[in-house]
Amino acid sequence: METEPLKRFLLREGATLVGVGDVTPALSAEISHLNRGIAIAVNRSLGAETVELLSGLQDLASGWLKVRGFRSLLIPPDSDRRKAKYITKLYKLFCHKTAATCSGLGWIGKNGLLINRQYGSKLSWATVLTNAPFVPDEPTSESECGTCELCVTHCPSQALEGHLWSVRDPLRVLVQYDKCRALKSRRTALDERPNCGFCITVCPYSRKSSRRKSIRQ
Amino acid sequence: MVDDARKNEIYEKLKNGVIQYDEDACREGAQEAVDAGLDANEAIFDGLVSGMEEVGRLFEAQEYFVPEILMCADALYAGLDILKPHCKQMDLGVKGSVVIGTVEGDVHDIGKNLVKMMFDVAGFNVYDLGRDVPLDKFVDEQLKTDSEIVCLSAMMTTSMVGMPKIIEKIKAKNPDCMIMIGGAPTSKELADKWGADGYAEDASNALKEAIKMVAFLKKLREEKLKK
Repeated sequence: METEPLKRFLLREGATLVGVGDVTPALSAEISHLNRGIAIAVNRSLGAETVELLSGLQDLASGWLKVRGFRSLLIPPDSDRRKAKYITKLYKLFCHKTAATCSGLGWIGKNGLLINRQYGSKLSWATVLTNAPFVPDEPTSESECGTCELCVTHCPSQALEGHLWSVRDPLRVLVQYDKCRALKSRRTALDERPNCGFCITVCPYSRKSSRRKSIRQ
Repeated sequence: MVDDARKNEIYEKLKNGVIQYDEDACREGAQEAVDAGLDANEAIFDGLVSGMEEVGRLFEAQEYFVPEILMCADALYAGLDILKPHCKQMDLGVKGSVVIGTVEGDVHDIGKNLVKMMFDVAGFNVYDLGRDVPLDKFVDEQLKTDSEIVCLSAMMTTSMVGMPKIIEKIKAKNPDCMIMIGGAPTSKELADKWGADGYAEDASNALKEAIKMVAFLKKLREEKLKK
């Protein structure tokens, strides 16, 4: 089954990037029948408006699949913030980064975030899992960070290990998340703003995307 | 009072809302039932629960999978939240409280939560201990709440081995307490061997068992009403 019609549809509705990946190896038993992951990205910071747009795109994708007789499971963009429902139990079984790398939209950088060649880490993601037999896109299997270590040296909490991600070594720890979280909670206590984001700001791929935007403006 | 046609229409809406995992329809249907002054217990059993029975059947027929079941459960709760405050306490001769949890060392709780839901629906007082629960906590909680039923769940053989210890302790202190065990590694034989009273293999079976139990309660209730 071709992915082009669905991709064109979602791009027209406001998605920045859409990819379809074969996510079979990343699935646990509960969702093993949904072996295609549709990664949808929007080039905006994660705010209420972006979440709304992404959720809308997910619903559109789900509807598109439904009329063609396929199942889908929507993993919302803010899956970690949604609780208190049964379906949220399944969200943590799958992460957006997996769908994105499986559909070749980027790799996982030394900062532990998904990096897209064009937009860097300045994307917000949502995932639709489906059993539609799509021909998957070519996956990304290796990091393209190379020798760049800007995020590692600039991280204020020294949380980044500086390892290169590879699909063959998925268990390798790239980020000491407890250190990262500790800094964020300290900052929240100080000025009520948890955000750090140095590892995004210094990343050449992310900077490239903002520079391009400023030229256009 | 409303006529039967309107009543059935509302129940049908609740039932289909659960089957189609449409939370809004369930909420709407529940509100309509309340506004029309229908019996909340009846709306739960003839609407929501009969929808969930159909979901159980669809799961068995492999038309539904775990994600659909969970979405149906969410839809059922959406309706239940509205109907629950209007429920009359069912007089079934049992006080109806249950202690439920996933045993120490295990963090899988999808199946446990589905069973919990059906107990909730049936009007039980549910004491949910959550997951990765220390063995003695079950015993203490049972004594504290004087519950008639204790449900133990485990997904892994390594955590399952804690079950007989709990059963032994509870039965020693309170021989009348019913104990149900469930989860992928458990079996009917093990349940018998350990002295458990009920057994459910996995989430779908647990759901089925719980539905059966609720259906049984429903029958009891109908018989009571006839008298």
